[in-house]
Amino acid sequence: MPTGTLLERYEDHRARRFLRNEELTAGWLPGWRNRKRRRILACAVVALLIGTFSVSVASYFTMTVAIAWIPLTLLFLPVWTGLQIVSGRQSDAPRLALDEREIAERNSARSIGLSVAQSLLLLPIFALIFGSVLDSVDHRQLAYSAGGFALASILFSGCLPAVLLAWNQPDDDPED
Amino acid sequence: MSPVRRGATLPIHNRIRVLRVERGMSRAQLAELIEVNPQTVGALERGDHYPSLDLAFRICDVFSLPVEAVFSRTEFGPLSTELYKPRKEA
Repeated sequence: MPTGTLLERYEDHRARRFLRNEELTAGWLPGWRNRKRRRILACAVVALLIGTFSVSVASYFTMTVAIAWIPLTLLFLPVWTGLQIVSGRQSDAPRLALDEREIAERNSARSIGLSVAQSLLLLPIFALIFGSVLDSVDHRQLAYSAGGFALASILFSGCLPAVLLAWNQPDDDPED
Repeated sequence: MSPVRRGATLPIHNRIRVLRVERGMSRAQLAELIEVNPQTVGALERGDHYPSLDLAFRICDVFSLPVEAVFSRTEFGPLSTELYKPRKEA
């Protein structure tokens, strides 16, 4: 007879799956598992996401700029995956797979991510609300641009906890 | 109900590093015994992380010492000095 609620069993399953994957990827990219290289990856992720914001704003003026989403996404995927591998995916790890310090750090980083998401998403929301009543605005371009901006905001704030944790993660302590 | 206010963070000093080295334990070994990440042991030793009561008890269990022998509000002196300090005459 299974014990615990459905939620607890799901959490258990998530933790076990996470630890299995963690064991698999723990030896990957050994040369990148230091603070300097982690920070390089963190900066690269932020730079690419700033690129997505720029593209979404620029697409209001020139629709063809929107094609830049493709190379940005293609660059973002390996850099983001690399960052997640070398930082141990602490930002989206299940609670049961982390210790109390890691949970405290993750919660703090997630809280910042949520605040940033709320603030950034207000920009396309207000642009759409006020832009919709202005006749001088190209509504089609505005909708596309605001949609892109909202997508970039979600991506940025979703990645921010991992970026912050990777940035702050110290080098392994030298053995005595 | 009075509003909750967080007072100034008071220091919690510990002797984890000294006790661990004295027992010939690596950070990874201690981390395994208290079920945390080895980096957390490093953070505890540096004073970057103050442990919960549960973790503090688990650490004390490993060293078989009371909490006050491992953690203190005031800085610890060298163990040897405390062991061999001259006894005061009654």
